[in-house]
Amino acid sequence: MIAPEAKRRLTEVVGARGYLDRPEDLKLYEYDGSVDKAKPELVLFPRSTEDVVAIVKITHEFRIPIVGRGAGTGLSGGAIPRSGGVTIGFARMNRILEIDLKNERAVLQPGVVNLDITLAVQAQKYFYAPDPSSQRACTIGGNVAENAGGPHTLAYGVTTNHVLGLEVVLPDGTVFETGGKETDVPGYDLTGLLVGSEGTMGLVTKVIVRLMRAPELVKTALAIYDTVDDCADTVALITARGITPVAVEMLDGVMLRMVEEATHAGYPMDASAVLLIELEGLKEGVDEQLELIRQACMDCRCREFRVARSAEERDLLWKGRKNAFGAVGRVSPFYYVQDGVVPRTQIAPTLRRIQQVSEKYGLIISNIFHAGDGNMHPIILFDARKENELQRAQLAGEEILQFCVDSGGSITGEHGVGMEKMELMGHQFPEDTLNAIKAFKNLFDPDCRLNPGKVLPTGKGCLEVRQLPLTAATAI
Amino acid sequence: MEQIRPRSPEELAARLGEASAAGQRIRLEGNGSKARAGGAISEADVRISTACLDQVLIFEPKDLTMSVGAGLPFARFTELLDQHGMMVPLDPPFAAQATVGGVVAANTSGPRRRLYGTARDLVIGMKFATLEGKIVQSGGMVVKNVAGLDMAKLLIGSLGTLAAIATVNFKLIPKPQGSRTFVFEYNTASEAVAMRDRILQSALQPSAVDLCNPAAATVLGLAKWTLAIGVSGNAAVLDRYQRELGGEAIEGGFWRAVEEFGPGFLNANPEGCIVRCAVTLDQVGAAMEKLPGAVVARSANGVCYSHCQSTDQAAAAMTMGRPVMEYGPSSRTAALKMWPNKDSGFPIMQKVKRMFDPKHLLNRGRLYGDI
Ligand SMILES: Cc1cc2nc3c(=O)[nH]c(=O)nc-3n(C[C@H](O)[C@H](O)[C@H](O)COP(=O)(O)OP(=O)(O)OC[C@H]3O[C@@H](n4cnc5c(N)ncnc54)[C@H](O)[C@@H]3O)c2cc1C
Repeated sequence: MIAPEAKRRLTEVVGARGYLDRPEDLKLYEYDGSVDKAKPELVLFPRSTEDVVAIVKITHEFRIPIVGRGAGTGLSGGAIPRSGGVTIGFARMNRILEIDLKNERAVLQPGVVNLDITLAVQAQKYFYAPDPSSQRACTIGGNVAENAGGPHTLAYGVTTNHVLGLEVVLPDGTVFETGGKETDVPGYDLTGLLVGSEGTMGLVTKVIVRLMRAPELVKTALAIYDTVDDCADTVALITARGITPVAVEMLDGVMLRMVEEATHAGYPMDASAVLLIELEGLKEGVDEQLELIRQACMDCRCREFRVARSAEERDLLWKGRKNAFGAVGRVSPFYYVQDGVVPRTQIAPTLRRIQQVSEKYGLIISNIFHAGDGNMHPIILFDARKENELQRAQLAGEEILQFCVDSGGSITGEHGVGMEKMELMGHQFPEDTLNAIKAFKNLFDPDCRLNPGKVLPTGKGCLEVRQLPLTAATAI
Repeated sequence: MEQIRPRSPEELAARLGEASAAGQRIRLEGNGSKARAGGAISEADVRISTACLDQVLIFEPKDLTMSVGAGLPFARFTELLDQHGMMVPLDPPFAAQATVGGVVAANTSGPRRRLYGTARDLVIGMKFATLEGKIVQSGGMVVKNVAGLDMAKLLIGSLGTLAAIATVNFKLIPKPQGSRTFVFEYNTASEAVAMRDRILQSALQPSAVDLCNPAAATVLGLAKWTLAIGVSGNAAVLDRYQRELGGEAIEGGFWRAVEEFGPGFLNANPEGCIVRCAVTLDQVGAAMEKLPGAVVARSANGVCYSHCQSTDQAAAAMTMGRPVMEYGPSSRTAALKMWPNKDSGFPIMQKVKRMFDPKHLLNRGRLYGDI
């Protein structure tokens, strides 16, 4: 419970229009894109770093838990306030503070929507490279917290490779800056440590990112397969041959049909799998790479290899990819997105295993994922209104992630551990590593008030959660 | 002084734990090639070297990943990759003597960082041994991974002041079909910078864009302000560069001379130092005009290296951008200021240091004597 005195002072910081506290409003802030739920007691919308500092200092004084929130598109429960308390929404800190093209940088408030960065500079032929499929909604603050990736991170790297500086507010209200517009700033790379810390070590109030010059030519191809194995083998072959497309996305048959019905992107309804491949760069290089890719696809018995002939055709192909979750939503009221990573040679066996898991649990699992990085996204369809289906979906997801770890991979490539995969951290990392992570958490957040109950397994974290989370299966 | 060369990460951790428990000051090194980097290590009771952790642990050419022991000589590492048509294009100085762990711990890099980035972009996983005698893992063997904290980022560039890097995992880059080097000479820095800007603002994607002032150019056998451009790709791409950039291609061996510029200078100048100034791209020209001595810059990254004859000269260099004395004179004194203008993150860095090394035993004097 937030003490009345604390609440009065907190709401004073943001003003009458800067907070939400009615139960029906708070309900909108109890979930993110994952399947868990827990309600905040108060949601505050600061407009400046000063506001954030003032809020954090009051919560420090009254020992109230705090959780940062961007757009709430996270897929691991990162923004869910499982201990209640205050949610700090960054929706009003959404200004692009500076576009500095001659230095290839942009300075952003954390609530800036990912796609808006590229939109602001594309007329000048620049872009911001990390492009999560949720880029129309997700914020740079959330991207920094999760170290978000996207289709094009295969060639350009993930968020951490494009963030050069941060302004951070610690849970006691201390503000500091790390990095800057320059590279190679002396001292420890705190920027690198904080990117991907899942909003558990500091609140990010400013982000400096790299902008890149847009390529002169982009070519997008769709390779169509009659078997999933052939499709997966192509990814391994492209990697082994050292061909460097900028994106290699895979959709399996189940996914294809859902996407095609929803978006009419021109995907074949009868195929078992497709690869969406993009090449970028100088014209002379792209043309040759396209041939090498075509060859690799053909060597793996690709049924058809189509190259988009126009920007419209290309956009349509990508529309299918980027709206995939919407397409799933049309078919199934509930779905559970997983995010394992395997070495690229292991994609085919992993997909076979996913199929077995699907049969074992009697749940449909579709796959749409960043194949070029080996970043699997099995989407498990379930119906939370049916008894035990959520639990079955979660068990199925866990089994898949365990397989990923056992194949030399990871339990998460871009969505984060959050509260969803905490218990699997012990499967991924030895005890001493978990302890080291905990030591860092303690160093930055000694009271364990910032986004408590995330990342580390229960009992290994700095604090046991006070309140068990609700889930999508609990009464809505 | 006692010298220890552990043969496994476990042994490394155990030795560190013992030394720490005994309150011994530890000098941590790979092959000791960068003795003058980041502040000389003042005094120590025990020397622990990773030189015997020199194995290739996992090599998955089809996955383009490799895991190696920190003590693997960097030269052997690059040679092996080269044989398989791959690379980790860090292009560090001291490449012939350095170990992989040392390159990563010092975060040294070279010309091609414009296109390929630095250790923070190419390292996908790491194991390090702490003073508590534990082995901690960050990342893994896959190219995309956000499980756990990215602690490797902290170790990169920490100059052995936090923990000992035991193994490093890299993502590998396929070697381009061909590469070429173009050199352009100008009478003024601003002309050279104007050419750089034309290139950066075009669709061209050079891998290296270095700028040398006349003093540095002279050492490299040239004379004026020199802009050196490295490009790579297939034959058609290389021809395109040739057409658009104009000028004649020169021998690629030029880059070895650029990479070893610093080591050569330090060798010849026992009392010399190298100041590294981080600046924004638009400050490169002005900074280079003012920086003393021979100056070599990664001009498309905003990193200028000023090769100074004396600490006085270095003090003048350290007024530009965000500077640090990357290499100091052989006879360094404790009073020498190597890291001016710390930012507001410095107290956090100190906290991190205290967490790893509460008794301040590890590489005392390193990280510019300030941590
Ligand atoms: C349809 C769909 C597709 C997606 N595709 C991708 C994809 O391709 N790649 C990918 O990486 N992810 C993807 N995601 C997941 C999600 O969009 C990303 O994790 C994104 O980075 C979350 O941003 P957000 O603003 O929604 O953050 P939220 O969900 O609001 O928060 C995520 C985490 O960030 C923390 N946080 C937010 N703002 C701050 C701040 N200012 N300071 C500190 N912590 C903060 C929160 O506390 C929380 O822990 C997808 C999600 C959906 C729904």
